[in-house]
Amino acid sequence: MRIQIIGFGVIGQGLARVLLRKEEELRQRYGLEVSVVSITDISGTAHAEEGLDLRKALSVARETGAIVNYPGAKEMSGVEAIEEIEAELVVEATPSNIKTGEPGLSHMLAGFKAGKHVVTSNKGPLALKYRQLVSEAERNNVEFRFEASVGGAMPVINLARETLSGDRITAIEGILNGTTNYILSRMTREGLSFEHVLREAQELGYAETDPTYDIEGIDTASKLVILANAIMGIDATFSDVKIRGITRITPEAIRLAKERGYVIKLIGEVKNSHLEVSPRLVPETHPLNVDGALNVAMLHCDVAGEVTVVGKGAGAIETQSAILSDIIAIWKKVKG
Amino acid sequence: MRVSLDLELKDEPGQLLLALEPIARHSGNVISIIHLREEEKLRAGYATVHFTIDVPDKGCLERIVEELEERGVRVTKLGEVTKKSKLTLLMIGHVVDTDLRDTIDRINELEGVMVSDLSLAMPHPEKESSAIVDIEVSAGVDRHRLMERVYAIAKEKDLEIVRSLEV
Repeated sequence: MRIQIIGFGVIGQGLARVLLRKEEELRQRYGLEVSVVSITDISGTAHAEEGLDLRKALSVARETGAIVNYPGAKEMSGVEAIEEIEAELVVEATPSNIKTGEPGLSHMLAGFKAGKHVVTSNKGPLALKYRQLVSEAERNNVEFRFEASVGGAMPVINLARETLSGDRITAIEGILNGTTNYILSRMTREGLSFEHVLREAQELGYAETDPTYDIEGIDTASKLVILANAIMGIDATFSDVKIRGITRITPEAIRLAKERGYVIKLIGEVKNSHLEVSPRLVPETHPLNVDGALNVAMLHCDVAGEVTVVGKGAGAIETQSAILSDIIAIWKKVKG
Repeated sequence: MRVSLDLELKDEPGQLLLALEPIARHSGNVISIIHLREEEKLRAGYATVHFTIDVPDKGCLERIVEELEERGVRVTKLGEVTKKSKLTLLMIGHVVDTDLRDTIDRINELEGVMVSDLSLAMPHPEKESSAIVDIEVSAGVDRHRLMERVYAIAKEKDLEIVRSLEV
């Protein structure tokens, strides 16, 4: 299967590394031979009909920070690469943008139009234009999968839609952002202030230089919108979410909660078509009380009762678990 | 949820076990069992036994009732026991300066709602303080309306509200 990678940052490069590592295994287990025919980043596009040398692409990216330095690469945009280069599947892995959804939105739409399947980790376009994207994919008769957009390696979308396909999911609640969970967990354990832990998290690279998306609950809200649409069939968009972040949580508040047997977690919740992100008191014995940077989601099912999944919500390599599972699912479907 | 149910059991040894097994199997926890021997018997040779049980959810209750009926145990009465539930709220901000007494009074004004416990943490007079309160909520109270009132007060007094998950 010929694949195009659009976006060659942490996620795109992680995919290249995992594809190298799993080349033999994918062939043996699924008869799947992945050939990456193009890689695009903001600088341009590297392209080879017979498949790119992923080791070389990774070293070019590492040493020069621009894929345009790959031998023979051109200043070609993502949309152009999708329109002009022959391939079956596009992996859209550009950074998420919650205001416009771009450039991911244009890449996905171009992919559908070109009759290509799309796998993505990019939340922004989904949180803004879920319905449009899904119907465009259907109209062009291609697959569109996005497990990696929510919870990284924690399987939740495919779990709900495929494994729990006989159940109706009536409510979802979860911790969908690792950075805020890390911050709150450390505040709880060490009695430190929010500002202190945030600064340390930034120094360690766990939090972005601009942590607004995480700490204000925007990242969680984007993922919640995707879950509401994909799992519960609710036609919601980002602006429908009531959002409060964790910036006002103090060590004293955490201590008071602890005395009553609660921890404070930033929870995303979909219930009765109402979407909310807010810090909540979670009983210490509750399944949603997971520590560190982990993500967790609890699905309330009409037959199974409650089903809870826990996993790593981010990470260059861990996220590939979701992307690979989507690529393999598409491969299984198209080869028949 | 707490549920009360009247079961019609054959008035002979071993029948109670017949009723208990499905309850246990579907995660029911028996709170009390009362033999209503004085009650008018519906059928000759049968006795009515009144159970109060806790079940995790409606699904479990449905499975219990289904299995009882399958075993020939007739369920003659079934109802949810209305009881008070608890809601815990954490308030962060200038909780004391914005008149904590007034905050509590205004929550208590709602029918069937009562603040039952409160703890306070004040790290420094100029810094924001925190209060955690338990609120007893009678069955039938619209929790959504209760939270709307809480958030309105919070907005007015610039308090951050962290509410417990089960709401």
